[in-house]
Amino acid sequence: MADPGRPAAADVAFGGAGAVKFLRHLGAVTLVVAVVVVIGLAWNHFGSSTLVGGQQASFNKQASVSGRPPGVAVLRPGAKGAGPHGPRVRVIIRNGPMDLGLGSMFEPVNLAVLRHTVVIEAVVIAIVVMIDVSRRLWRQERRRAREFADYRPDDGEPDP
Amino acid sequence: MNGPPLTSAADPVSGLDRRRRIAARTRLDFWFDLVLLVGYTLAYSYGFTGIAIHEWLGIGLGLAMLLHLTLHWDWVIRTTRRLLDPRAHDKVIWLVNLALLFGMTLCVASGILISRVALPYLGIYPLAGPFWERLHVVTAEVTLGLVPVHLALRWRWLIRVGRRLLTWRSAGRER
Repeated sequence: MADPGRPAAADVAFGGAGAVKFLRHLGAVTLVVAVVVVIGLAWNHFGSSTLVGGQQASFNKQASVSGRPPGVAVLRPGAKGAGPHGPRVRVIIRNGPMDLGLGSMFEPVNLAVLRHTVVIEAVVIAIVVMIDVSRRLWRQERRRAREFADYRPDDGEPDP
Repeated sequence: MNGPPLTSAADPVSGLDRRRRIAARTRLDFWFDLVLLVGYTLAYSYGFTGIAIHEWLGIGLGLAMLLHLTLHWDWVIRTTRRLLDPRAHDKVIWLVNLALLFGMTLCVASGILISRVALPYLGIYPLAGPFWERLHVVTAEVTLGLVPVHLALRWRWLIRVGRRLLTWRSAGRER
């Protein structure tokens, strides 16, 4: 069951030392993630135009996809939420006390969105698996061909 | 998470215990990876879940990603050290995982910054802007391509463990 990409047996030891090791790893991971976030913040600060350009992001358009009433829209002045392109007004959706809007998940029309995601994932997985299988087969063929080329029928015979 | 400490390898009981732990860890990896995949698929399907579940699931995925990376940190260190070795395996996986780390982290971070339900519910009104909104969309699309690649590059392990887990289940039921 061991896999080269999977953790070694020692990793599963969760004793006192295991807990310390886990915390140490968690700290390292948090640090790496923080570095990536800082890179994102720096990108926003120094070169946000490389991503946004002059156009408005399309995320707000997606908000209507769920087909649910957005609840009470709270408009806040852009002073606090101002982006790099000047002051703007944000729409904050409040659904009341913890309304998860589970109803939208049971509407058949919204299932198409989930199906779409699953199909994309399945297609990508199928492509990668096919590439991997053909790569392995090609390697096997090459190894066999090399073994065949190296083979001498008289290798096993004693020298005269 | 806390368990008995490891004893000498010569002890047959500890050897059995060690094998049990490896099996448990493999099971944990398998099911946790599966939960992450389902969670990510649901979180990406914004139109299906609606904004509230999308945001809470996204925050949960961020925390789960931290845990996933922590559980595999040894692999990260090991593979990074061997990157310059021409015979080293896993270089493609390492690159995919690095891209996924950037994509997923920026996706979750930008999602938090443009939150309209989850954070305001907690009384936090995060800063937002067209950059973060665009970044969220772009990184979500990038990760949608990378998550299945990340998974598919380990398809042999997944099939092997999945098959073994099914065998364990059916064997357990027969008993």
